[in-house]
Amino acid sequence: MRIHPGGNRMKWIVSIKHIRMTRELGLFCAIVLLTVLFSFLFPVSFPTFDNFSAILRNLALDAVMAAGMLILMVSGLFDLSVGGMFSMVGVVTGWLMKNGGVPVPLAILAGLAVAALGGFINGFVVARVRVNALITTLGTMQIFRGIAVLVGGPGITFLPESFSGLGQAKWLGLQSSVWLMFAVIALFHFLLRKTRFFRQYYYIGGNEKAATLSGIPVARMQIFAFMISGVLAGLAGMAFSARIATSVSVAGDGAELRIITAVILGGASLKGGKGSILGALVGVVFIAMINNLMIIAKISSYWQSIVIGIVLVLAVSMDYFLEKK
Amino acid sequence: MTDTALLLKMTGIHKRFPGVHALGGVDFDVRPGEVHALVGENGAGKSTLMHILAGVFRPDSGAIVFDGREGVHFENERAAQTAGIGMVYQERSLIATLNVAENIFAARQPVDRWGVIRFKTLHARTVELLRALDMDISPMESVDRLSPARQQQVEIAKALSLDAKLVIFDEPTTSLTEAETERFFGVIATLKRRGMGIIYISHRLDEVFKISDRLTVLKDGERVGTYPAGELTADKLIGLMVGRDFLKGLQRAADEAKDRNRVLLEVRGLGDGRRVRDVSFSARAGEVTALAGLNGSGRTETALAVFGAGPRTSGEIRIDGKPAGIRSPQEAVRSGIGYLPEDRKEAGVFLDMSVTENIAAAHLASSRGFREAKSFYRSEADRFRKQLNISAPDLGRPVQNLSGGNQQKVLLARWLLVGPRILFVDEPTRGIDVGAKREVHLLLRRLAESGAAVILISSELPEILAVADRIVVLREGRVSGEFAQSEATEEGIIRCASIPGETA
Repeated sequence: MRIHPGGNRMKWIVSIKHIRMTRELGLFCAIVLLTVLFSFLFPVSFPTFDNFSAILRNLALDAVMAAGMLILMVSGLFDLSVGGMFSMVGVVTGWLMKNGGVPVPLAILAGLAVAALGGFINGFVVARVRVNALITTLGTMQIFRGIAVLVGGPGITFLPESFSGLGQAKWLGLQSSVWLMFAVIALFHFLLRKTRFFRQYYYIGGNEKAATLSGIPVARMQIFAFMISGVLAGLAGMAFSARIATSVSVAGDGAELRIITAVILGGASLKGGKGSILGALVGVVFIAMINNLMIIAKISSYWQSIVIGIVLVLAVSMDYFLEKK
Repeated sequence: MTDTALLLKMTGIHKRFPGVHALGGVDFDVRPGEVHALVGENGAGKSTLMHILAGVFRPDSGAIVFDGREGVHFENERAAQTAGIGMVYQERSLIATLNVAENIFAARQPVDRWGVIRFKTLHARTVELLRALDMDISPMESVDRLSPARQQQVEIAKALSLDAKLVIFDEPTTSLTEAETERFFGVIATLKRRGMGIIYISHRLDEVFKISDRLTVLKDGERVGTYPAGELTADKLIGLMVGRDFLKGLQRAADEAKDRNRVLLEVRGLGDGRRVRDVSFSARAGEVTALAGLNGSGRTETALAVFGAGPRTSGEIRIDGKPAGIRSPQEAVRSGIGYLPEDRKEAGVFLDMSVTENIAAAHLASSRGFREAKSFYRSEADRFRKQLNISAPDLGRPVQNLSGGNQQKVLLARWLLVGPRILFVDEPTRGIDVGAKREVHLLLRRLAESGAAVILISSELPEILAVADRIVVLREGRVSGEFAQSEATEEGIIRCASIPGETA
């Protein structure tokens, strides 16, 4: 049999197809390209340590919250209450240490407990009472926002230095919230990729019925995922209060949709079963980059949301077409 | 009787599906004002024939004369409906949140020239229709507030709302109580009086005899014969339905030691508050125990209740002699029970996940390790691929690329990896080809012989007879008979499953 001359090239194409062009990878390439491009266009203002560290600082807490959101989205759920949680926990913690006279470490623990409880309520209503996640967290979002304003009024200023010190501390030139992000991302990346327990979330999102019938404790795990999301949002809220030494009652407003956008950009799907922590991180970085580039290029910040909206719809539709093919 | 007196005449209907000759030249006719029952085992071709009539499938060849019109092949369901053929499906096609009138006239609501629905007319037409059918239902009632029997009446009204001349009922009484069934027969009588032709498909032979004028028996896609109901007895009918080529039995030769086989699972007085009323049976190590019965007899619900995936309101479950308070599938898996679900796509496979991940699912859920044992799962998946002859070129690719038979083997591998002592398999060969079927049968036998108690739920009697050591027959949520393999016959099982009062 004669070997077709094109055989070799065919082989090449096949092997390229084996490298799966995931959304994570695509977005990562886009970020690299934009970085290179802007480094040439704005060599003075863009590629500086200060600018990069500012980008990191601005995205760090979003990335922390995105990790929790990603776990929920892998299991086919999501949480609209993270922004409310962010504000509420920041305010409750601040109130306890400023007005309640509670020692800082205890106030932090109490804040985390409030976050865990809020997450548990979300999870319980969704997984046990079986109200859908949209309605449940739409409700708790408003409850948490309300509690934040109720407790803190417009905000609580001049938080104790032992607390704000934590938020403003720097190590190797990077702020503590950036290190918090690195820790959270590394931890959950490992957990979600390597551990038996967290792998089960992919099964739940893939087919909830089949997961139940395989013996996966679906409801318990969903409750736990909401608790993780709540605690991470609370942690982010506290870190933010500490950084500016003030608990702002509306600090987290709008975070929920920004984070869901980032996580979907990073490869997760509302249907569940898909996504990775690194993807979620890339999504957050992308949004922060767009934001930063607009400022550097002195483009009106209104364009930012237009661009992100276009990219979101384009990215998801592209997936849809690729899948159909 | 001449052909002009016939409402419907189907002649020489052929239909092939890939690999199956579903209908091999079937003749069938219906007179006006007649109930003509269509009986036969699962897979005999009843549904295919009716789907051809209702415009769902096109026949490969054959002629249909309906209401004096020659050579009609309905292009689609809508065309069949418009011509006057109504079909009342087994599954409800109603929209629960809308009211009765909106359901009956779904997508055909009377509108004015602006497209606004004329509710008064809609209401009046519904009242008129329901009155003509002697149905006492308010047109404004929301469908989800009606009992199953009432919902079915709405379904019938919907089928008739297009001036149907012929109505097809597919297993209409499955979800009805006895009293509701009686009332339903009243509706049938009304339709008969109005000169309508009725095709009635049911596995419940007592009903068939009660209401039909003629019976046509199908077997393996061919017509065995058509008989006036008065000329047949239940025995004769069952004899006509069965008797196709038997699968060769796989059971071991009568084994003295078998009697000493330990009872692994014992179920006493199980009820789920719905379909399962009072089910008791036991399953032994080393045996395949079959749960036989008609659809709706509570077979699947029994398995789900034992497995902790469905409600259990009464009864006791003992595993290995010890009471087991199983409340969730997780606890069931940890107690050594597995369940392979009836609906492979819906509740079995993770379509987007890889073959390996699919095989790992139950083991992953029931093991206690911290790290996911990825390489272990990969090598086990590879072992099962060889052992179960799963044709999957790449175990890392999504399971949805596999054929139904191979997907089913993947699900079996999922449980083999856990190694349950008790395994329920619910319709394990539904929709898979003959070769894979045989392999699944062999696997179930091998699993039993390795000491597990296998509980096979199946609608296919030849399968049950070929694989099971003991057969427990359910009827309407109760055990109506139990057979040892040596004494079981298709006739005996059908009788037990479908005729009230019959027990064995």
